[in-house]
Amino acid sequence: MPRRPVVKKEYTLGERVYLVEIAKGLRLTWKHFVFNIKASFRKGPHTVPTCWQYPEDRREIAPIFRGAHMLQLNDKGQELCVGCGMCARACPAKCITVKRGKPAEGEEDRYAGKTMCSSFEIDMLRCIFCGNCEKACPKNAIVLGQDYELAEYEPGLCIYDKKRLISNFLKAKAEGRLKPPPAPIPIDAPPVKKKTAVKKMAPGKTKAKGGERAEKGKGTSVKEEDKGPDK
Amino acid sequence: MADWQIDLIKVVFIWAWALLIAVVMTWVERRASAMMQDRLGPNRAGPFGLLQPLADGIKLFTKEDIIPERARKILFILGPILFALPAFSTYAVVPFGDKIVIGGKEIILQVSDVNIGFLYVLALSAIAVYGMVIGGWASNSKYSILGGLRATAQLISYEVPMGLALLTIVLLYGTFSLREIVLQQQGTFLGFLPNWGFFKQPVGFIIFLVAAYAEANRVPFDLPECESELVTGYHTEYGSMRLGLYLFGEYVNLVALSAITVSLFFGGWALPYVDMGKFLGPVSYGIASFLVFFLKQAFFLFLFVWVRWTVPRFRYDQLMGLGWKALIPLGLVNLFITALLVQLTT
Amino acid sequence: MSKEKGLETICITTGPTEVGDYVTLNIGPIHPAMHGTLRVITQTDGETVISAKPEIGYLHRGVEKLGENLTYSQFLPMTDRLNYCSAICNNVAYEMAVEKLLGIEVPPKAQLIRMIMMELARIADHQVCVGILGVDLGALTPFFYLIIQREEIYEIFEWHHGARLTNSMGAIGGVEADLPDRFHEKWPKMRDTIRRANDETDSLLTHNRIWMDRTIGVNAFCGDDALDWGFTGPMLRACGVRRDLRKDEPYLMYDKVDFEVPVGKHGDVFDRYMVRMLEMEESVKIIDQAYALYKELPDDAPLMKKMPKIIRPPEGQIYHAIESPNGELGFFIKSDGSDKPYRIKIRPPCYMVYQAFEDLVKGEMISDLIACLSSLNVIAGELDR
Repeated sequence: MPRRPVVKKEYTLGERVYLVEIAKGLRLTWKHFVFNIKASFRKGPHTVPTCWQYPEDRREIAPIFRGAHMLQLNDKGQELCVGCGMCARACPAKCITVKRGKPAEGEEDRYAGKTMCSSFEIDMLRCIFCGNCEKACPKNAIVLGQDYELAEYEPGLCIYDKKRLISNFLKAKAEGRLKPPPAPIPIDAPPVKKKTAVKKMAPGKTKAKGGERAEKGKGTSVKEEDKGPDK
Repeated sequence: MADWQIDLIKVVFIWAWALLIAVVMTWVERRASAMMQDRLGPNRAGPFGLLQPLADGIKLFTKEDIIPERARKILFILGPILFALPAFSTYAVVPFGDKIVIGGKEIILQVSDVNIGFLYVLALSAIAVYGMVIGGWASNSKYSILGGLRATAQLISYEVPMGLALLTIVLLYGTFSLREIVLQQQGTFLGFLPNWGFFKQPVGFIIFLVAAYAEANRVPFDLPECESELVTGYHTEYGSMRLGLYLFGEYVNLVALSAITVSLFFGGWALPYVDMGKFLGPVSYGIASFLVFFLKQAFFLFLFVWVRWTVPRFRYDQLMGLGWKALIPLGLVNLFITALLVQLTT
Repeated sequence: MSKEKGLETICITTGPTEVGDYVTLNIGPIHPAMHGTLRVITQTDGETVISAKPEIGYLHRGVEKLGENLTYSQFLPMTDRLNYCSAICNNVAYEMAVEKLLGIEVPPKAQLIRMIMMELARIADHQVCVGILGVDLGALTPFFYLIIQREEIYEIFEWHHGARLTNSMGAIGGVEADLPDRFHEKWPKMRDTIRRANDETDSLLTHNRIWMDRTIGVNAFCGDDALDWGFTGPMLRACGVRRDLRKDEPYLMYDKVDFEVPVGKHGDVFDRYMVRMLEMEESVKIIDQAYALYKELPDDAPLMKKMPKIIRPPEGQIYHAIESPNGELGFFIKSDGSDKPYRIKIRPPCYMVYQAFEDLVKGEMISDLIACLSSLNVIAGELDR
């Protein structure tokens, strides 16, 4: 048996007689009891501290809640998604499948960009609702909405195609639950050096520069210039 | 109406009444516990969830009845029966009220007024122990046997303090019969205190109450069936209405124990300073005494529920230590002092 | 225990080890008292535990291996699912480890926001642990009183970064959103309601003799033994060793706030319970002070360091640990210069604690085994990864 330290139990008289502390505990529970009986008769949701009478009363969901996805349309009703596939690459669960395509003749004003996504599928059974796709999207096309009641009777229905995602958006728009555009994050960046005119250098020298950089390795990612999103 | 017909009606009525209270107790337990825990409890089945016990009963009836393969079949079936029957049989001696006059005949609201009153109750609770042990053993599962063993030890040990507390009652009132004891608790002593057992025997009352909690397997003494340790102990392997008999029988037991507590220590059906018989007619007196008894019983039933959700549970050796090392000496001392006082005052 | 030829050396099974007339009781992966999927194979002599071999791995999902195929920012949601009661601490630990590898330091406002969120997560974790300890020991009401407060904390999480339980808070380089308005509105009231819920739990449990009998002297453990086994966190502090990474190796801005580290004496279940209750109080103090520091910073102070789209840390390896509610949660990351880590190893605090389980409960009763398991706060997600 392992060695154990000797523990002496010292009780006060009130503690030795169980009943004093039990009576105090009973008084506390009685106070909660009376409060909750009065609360259960009041009208309105969530009068009793732990209970929401779902599905009649629902909690208020934050606008930035990460729920079911939706493909957004812009104010003119054009699809924002260009089919670049950044969301599919950013997804940790590999649940998004995007195919890029060109809009058909005569349908160009349905889409805001020059390209569109001919197919866009999200497997909701794999999705972990992390929001990486939302952060990666350059056009703010795919966002996570406020819907969390996603149960279906068949697994096939849980693979959302483009039609379902756009209809999610339209439903949210009709209910006034659109996702607010992402707020700009104040970033602590080193001051941007003013770009001077680049002199054309001899081909040898630029190669040396490139070689130097390759030797340093792929690190130093902080000071690298930010490869901006394609506008 | 012959006497035996009246008794038969009384049996059926009181049996149905006890069942009804036990059923409502399941509802009270769930709602009251929810109210203490800042939540609501069942409120979907019927208004305020009042049909919830009915739903539970239907659920238990319609579930598949499984007997484990290597369980002892006969004992497995016998266990719940041995547990539930004594609980129901206890009602035979409980005085629910005083006389009621129907059709010119005086009927006492008690099924049978035997003169060994609560000795009969003690004997029955000893049989209930068998129900738990046999259920635990016959299930052929380690959790069940552990629960069954704990139940045996606990129940047998706590019968002794219960008996000691009850002995002091016998010394005070000189009779075992429950009706006699209730009748003797009318009036006052010391000028203003009612003649109740509670005021004459406070220590005895506490010992009896603690022993009653242990006999009923309620927190803080619910070791045999604690969920967190033994996955419900001796009724792990039971399903369907057999489990229903165990669970239901526990509530019937509770109702019986509260009834006994009320009749022995709290004056039974009588109000403390008022003699209801003086200003109520015969029929309404009977009904009023029945109601008073029921209200006092309801308080104790609520106390069972109230304590359950406030207090943690004992460990096994602490439980046995409390019973043997604290309650029994206290009960003996109490008995001694009571005997001395009774001798000195008569 | 397979006796087939050749398999004896390969199969590592846990099973009854002592020889004698003992009852083998399997407290299995599915049990009302198990915190997640843990299995304990005990041999008992009546009620006394002779041996108790824990078996783990029922929730192993290969998180560390999955990390080798995910980029650094894709691995962040995986860290949520480790200690799911306080997911933010895991997120911050991972982010800080990667930032250490990259050699950057986040702006002070982000540090303060991280501190506030982490301390809220610490309060939430301790609330669950104390509540479940009560439930396992039979006191079912304090759990509900504490859980209500947890709901308030979840609301703040939801309004800050969008998720209640699996937070994935922040990003490598800082925090992506400022403190929500909800926090500014709710915090003055929340600190009082958290304290009140703690006081109610205290009044129901701490001086109740039944509770004291159940927990004082149960699983008492020496501080030296605890250090030998590798304990950290509340388990170690309950044994009397004052070690808290927030004080000994301060990270973020913990050296600028003033708080105490509660230390127990005997290492029994009661001390662990008291250490956790007092730590909740200290967390409230830390949040108050961090909030005061936060209000001194300008509204548009930067929240994130400028990070490239693809994070490619230089070659090297790093180990960074923080004080999570359970103990020292450490991340070891080895990078080979590409955008995916070569190896991520997570040091789960409850693994070290759980390996001492047999030593803790030997000679005690079955009820004490359950009490011990509850007080260790073993969370299967963290144990098995």
